[in-house]
Amino acid sequence: MVDEEEIIRVAKLMKIDLEDHTEHVSRVKKMLEYFDILDQIDLSSEEITSQEKTLAELRKDEFIPNDKKLIDSLKNFREHYVRAPKMN
Amino acid sequence: MNLKTSILDYINDVKSGSLTVEEFTSATIQRIKDVDGDVHAYLSLNESAIDNAKSIDKKISTGEKVGACYGFPISIKDNICITGTKTTCASKILENFVAPYTATVVNKLQNEDAIITGKTNLDEFAMGLTTEFSAYGPTKNPWNLKYVPGGSSGGSAASVAADECLASLGSDTGGSVRNPASFCSVVGLKPTYGLISRYGLISYANSIEQIGPMTKTVKDCGFLLNIIAGQDSNDDTTIDNKQSDYLKNIEDGIEGKKIGIIKEMTSDGLSPEVSSATKEAIQDFEKLGANCEEVSLPTIPYTVAAYYTITSTEAGSNLARYDNIRYGYDLDSEGYEYNSYISKSRTKFGPEVIRRIILGGFVPSAGHAGKYFLKALKVKSKLTSEVNSAFEKYDFLIAPTAPVQPFQFGEKIDDPITLMLLDYNTVTANLTGKPAISVPYRVVDGLPIGMQIMGNSLKEESLLQAAYALESKTELPEVPL
Amino acid sequence: MTKIGLEIHCQLTKLESKLFCSCKANYREFEPNHNICPICMGLPGSLPRLNQKAVESATSIAMALSCETPEKIAFFRKNYFYPDLPKNFQITQLNVYGDMSVGGEGHVDVKGKKIKIRRIQLEEDPGRLIYEGESERTKITLVDYNRAGTPLVEIVTDPDFENPRQVRIFLNILSDLLENLGVAEPGLEGAMRADGNVSIEGGNKVEVKNINSFHDLEKALHFEITRQQSLSERGIEISQETRHWDDKRKITVSSRSKEEDQDYRYFLENDIPWVKIPQETRDSLKKNMPESISSKKERFVAKFNIAPQVADILASDKYYSDLFENAHSDSDAKDIANLITTDLMGFVDTKEKREESKLTSQHLSDLITAINDKTLTRTSSKTALQEIVKSGKSVKELLTEMDLGQVSDSSEIESIIMQVFEEEKQAVLDAKENPETVNYLVGKVMQKTKGKADPTKTLELIKSKLG
Repeated sequence: MVDEEEIIRVAKLMKIDLEDHTEHVSRVKKMLEYFDILDQIDLSSEEITSQEKTLAELRKDEFIPNDKKLIDSLKNFREHYVRAPKMN
Repeated sequence: MNLKTSILDYINDVKSGSLTVEEFTSATIQRIKDVDGDVHAYLSLNESAIDNAKSIDKKISTGEKVGACYGFPISIKDNICITGTKTTCASKILENFVAPYTATVVNKLQNEDAIITGKTNLDEFAMGLTTEFSAYGPTKNPWNLKYVPGGSSGGSAASVAADECLASLGSDTGGSVRNPASFCSVVGLKPTYGLISRYGLISYANSIEQIGPMTKTVKDCGFLLNIIAGQDSNDDTTIDNKQSDYLKNIEDGIEGKKIGIIKEMTSDGLSPEVSSATKEAIQDFEKLGANCEEVSLPTIPYTVAAYYTITSTEAGSNLARYDNIRYGYDLDSEGYEYNSYISKSRTKFGPEVIRRIILGGFVPSAGHAGKYFLKALKVKSKLTSEVNSAFEKYDFLIAPTAPVQPFQFGEKIDDPITLMLLDYNTVTANLTGKPAISVPYRVVDGLPIGMQIMGNSLKEESLLQAAYALESKTELPEVPL
Repeated sequence: MTKIGLEIHCQLTKLESKLFCSCKANYREFEPNHNICPICMGLPGSLPRLNQKAVESATSIAMALSCETPEKIAFFRKNYFYPDLPKNFQITQLNVYGDMSVGGEGHVDVKGKKIKIRRIQLEEDPGRLIYEGESERTKITLVDYNRAGTPLVEIVTDPDFENPRQVRIFLNILSDLLENLGVAEPGLEGAMRADGNVSIEGGNKVEVKNINSFHDLEKALHFEITRQQSLSERGIEISQETRHWDDKRKITVSSRSKEEDQDYRYFLENDIPWVKIPQETRDSLKKNMPESISSKKERFVAKFNIAPQVADILASDKYYSDLFENAHSDSDAKDIANLITTDLMGFVDTKEKREESKLTSQHLSDLITAINDKTLTRTSSKTALQEIVKSGKSVKELLTEMDLGQVSDSSEIESIIMQVFEEEKQAVLDAKENPETVNYLVGKVMQKTKGKADPTKTLELIKSKLG
């Protein structure tokens, strides 16, 4: 059984403001309960794998100057700083 | 002007001089004006389309080299970046985001003189199966405007089905190209993971998603794949496809090929119409010379849970950047503290995105990763081994693309489990990285049914042969719009 | 017993580009937000592209610290929200699915004490935050992303340090090593940062963060040890927590417990494939690595018979060892070494002085030749060095210009000696009595000739005159 309070706490960590609690929380809870099906399959011999590349295939270390106008197309403040809200 | 043509026929017509690019482009734009008020496939249009057409016509008349596309009109899903255009992912949070660069796939198209007609509608951030989760209103199925077009590339599928363009590029994370292709009776391919560059595709679940071509015919799909496939230095997950030509041997047929009918995808859960269409498709494959038999992939019942666990984890992370600080919409940070500002700005996410983000915070969290996320990754490994074994015996694996025909708006949206299970037949290809194509097969009671063929990694050439063969045996009505 | 562990972050500023894009690795010369691109800004649809040389450099560092290095390396996402993180996650390394960071299980010898290196990982630096405004109300946070994506190597030690002094020595050894490898410039402001963890006998471990220089680190460690000891003496439990260094008040302060709520949801960064680094590749990297400091020192002592302390100074400092290696021939190595470590050092002992110095290895070589030819005395060479560092003029030019040529002509020296004998009658008597004191007279002759007189000849002549 998934704890609804924990769902609400996780939402906060993900910076999601749950104004309308009930609908989202209960739906998320339902989805999580469906995921319980994962407990029924034997996965003991499985390993995590990934695509692999060689060192030679990686990007060469070069400086390529970028378009100075990029900061102008983003939100910026005087002298081209980005302004963040006050930190506590 | 016949807009119901294919890319290849169109190019022949332009080459032979019986058609100018401008004529066709104008007719397409007129068609958009005529029907898109109802269909709502497009979120934004390319205002320079006619100018693009004119300059291609000029190149043709002066004998200058013209790109392979000869100005055919193509629409692009609005989660793919094009410089200078709004790229919203059908979300309010990117309402004013203008992309500062162009996706590799669009660059390739533009370099070959394709004409971009506009950006198409989707479920917000590609999360959904019906396009009902778009923040800008849903797209309607051109076969019946009361019915959903599928999702998340619903706008792309509908734009092709309604003759508002000759092809589209969608994206497929769990079936988002194949599912709407099936619902709108068009061809939709999810390629091998790494075949097509994701540079410029706004990420939802980057470990399994791919951009996919959506076309009217299988040959058109091969043509488009030739243009956009291939290793890209901007995307380190792309692989070398050895300059394959996907059109060259497409008519070779499937005589002697072995086809596995995926048991878990063709049993209960299928509507009667889809079930009988599947049986007919199997008979067609046999008439074409293939040997069909049932194969069981016992991990399949766990794939939907694994898929949603993995994708919500990745989505929760990929969407964390949307905090309205560097780009986004106007919301003055004066008076807000950091955490409350971000939470406030993220209320612009739609309900399905919010739910996936919360899920994505839960399933990989320290206390729960062992039960959910790590298990899901292992399901992925187990499934991949199973499917690889199957491909040692079979050339293709088949099943209907969707377990049901298109349904009405609002019908499935309230039950999250029912909605998730629409992906049942499609997520396997994403989780294993294998290519899979949906071929339009039947229209029953005015609603389309598509058949899915899955091939082994990097075997798109033979996959298209199988799709072409099935298509040759299929007769479909014209869309009533 | 006190236990201290370190977490050191070192920027790989000798690389041309950032870890995942082609913006400049060393961001210092740019105006705010002018060293950015869609990738390091994490713009929607952008994808990271791993820097080949960064992987090579980090692997080399791991090998230089005697670490084990894996067959494959992987990258992970550390997810949290902060304004200096463009994607609100950091791409870093972890050893979750086996050992997949660039190195681990290494060690460094600090004056006989073995400090174990637990792990070395490659990761991206976030941007920089600047706080403006005096009062809480007007305070605004400005962000400069020029640094976002700069390649960082994080070096984590076991809590093997027993006191802050060992930490200081270790950090010096580490800085010299990294500079010698040619991958980093530890002297650059902000290029090397360290956080620490401290526990005293019977106490919990306390992390100390937000330390901006090695100088501050020592202060912070001293403060924290004292703080913990005084708590312990009063029988108060030392809480296991994270504290940050308050530079203004020079104390450590408890960080808000928000840290404990943090869940980083670590998972693989799937946009970056695992990188295979087979043994042959690592062997080849090792072969091409610059010679280590200890190896240089051994070689200087063994091959050129240089005194160990001198060899130590030369080997530990890349600037000196480069000068030395390029200046010496087999025969005059010892002389060059001594020249550098006695006379030259004072003129080039800071970064700024070195940057402005016009001295080259050729100058050193020429100077020693001149000294051995007896065209120049050792004493004059010091004056010459000062001028060379300033102007870069050749030794030949200076010999004439500054009239530094050695005076070896016997009659010239003799006449000076006669002058000195006149002026220093008492010293002459002393010298006749006690031959040991003759050096005083030699010194006076050297003074009169501004150091140019051949000292050997001078001594000879004085002795003969004394009878």
